[in-house]
Amino acid sequence: MASALKSTVLRHIRVPISQTLTVNGSRLTAVRLMSSSHDDHLDKKEVADRVLDVIKSYPKVDPSKVTPDVHFQKDLGLDSLDSVEIVMALEEEFKLDIPDKEADKIDSLPLAIEYIYNHPMAS
Amino acid sequence: MSVASYLARRAAQKERVRILYRRALKDTLNWAVHRHLFYPDADALRERFEANRNVEDIELIERMITAGEAAHDKWRHPDPYIVPWAPGGSKFCRNPTPPAGIEIVYNYGREDND
Repeated sequence: MASALKSTVLRHIRVPISQTLTVNGSRLTAVRLMSSSHDDHLDKKEVADRVLDVIKSYPKVDPSKVTPDVHFQKDLGLDSLDSVEIVMALEEEFKLDIPDKEADKIDSLPLAIEYIYNHPMAS
Repeated sequence: MSVASYLARRAAQKERVRILYRRALKDTLNWAVHRHLFYPDADALRERFEANRNVEDIELIERMITAGEAAHDKWRHPDPYIVPWAPGGSKFCRNPTPPAGIEIVYNYGREDND
C-alpha cells in the first residue's frame, strides 16, 4: 500500500533542472544521472515493442492474443513456471539481472514493461 | 489447521518452487556450453517439475522442495554467468568516460611550483 502510494506520488513529481554549467562554451546539465556503462536510455515504446516480441516468440503463447496489457496466467493460459521462463527470457533480452524476489512479482505485461523501463541498466 | 494458515503455507511453497525453478533454470544455462545444448536440458528440468505437479500432501511437498533445494545447491555451477554490470560481473564498478567538454587537469594546484 505504502509503496504503491509512494510510486504514485513519485510519478507526478518533476524536479526542475535549474542549475546548468557552462564548460568550454557547451552547456551541460549539472544534474547527471548515475549511470556507469551507458548514458542513453530506452524509450517506453521500444521497451514495449521488444517485450511484446519476446512474449510472442514464446512457444506456448498464441501471438494473436498478445496485447500490451495481458496477464501471463489469466489471459495467456500460462502457468507459474511458464511466467518464470518468460521473465528469464526478458532478462536475457534486456541484459538484466533481476533479483529472484522481484522477478517473482512480475506476472503481467504492463508490470514487465514498467519494471524494465525504470531499470537503469536495461539496454 | 485453519484454512487461512493452510493457504498461506501453500502460497509460500509455490513461491519457493518458482524461485527454485528460476535458479535451476539459470544454472542449467550456466552448465550448458551452447544454446542448443541448453534447450533439451531445460525441457528435462521442466519435466522434473511437471512430474510432481499434482502432489497434494503439504508435508510431502515440503520435503520435496527441501530435497530439490539441497540438490540444486549441491550441483550449483562454481563460476556462473553474471551480467557484466552486476556485482561480480566484468564491468562492475568500471568508470564511464567523462562527458564531452570536461577536461582533467593532472597537475592541479602545482602548476607554478614545478
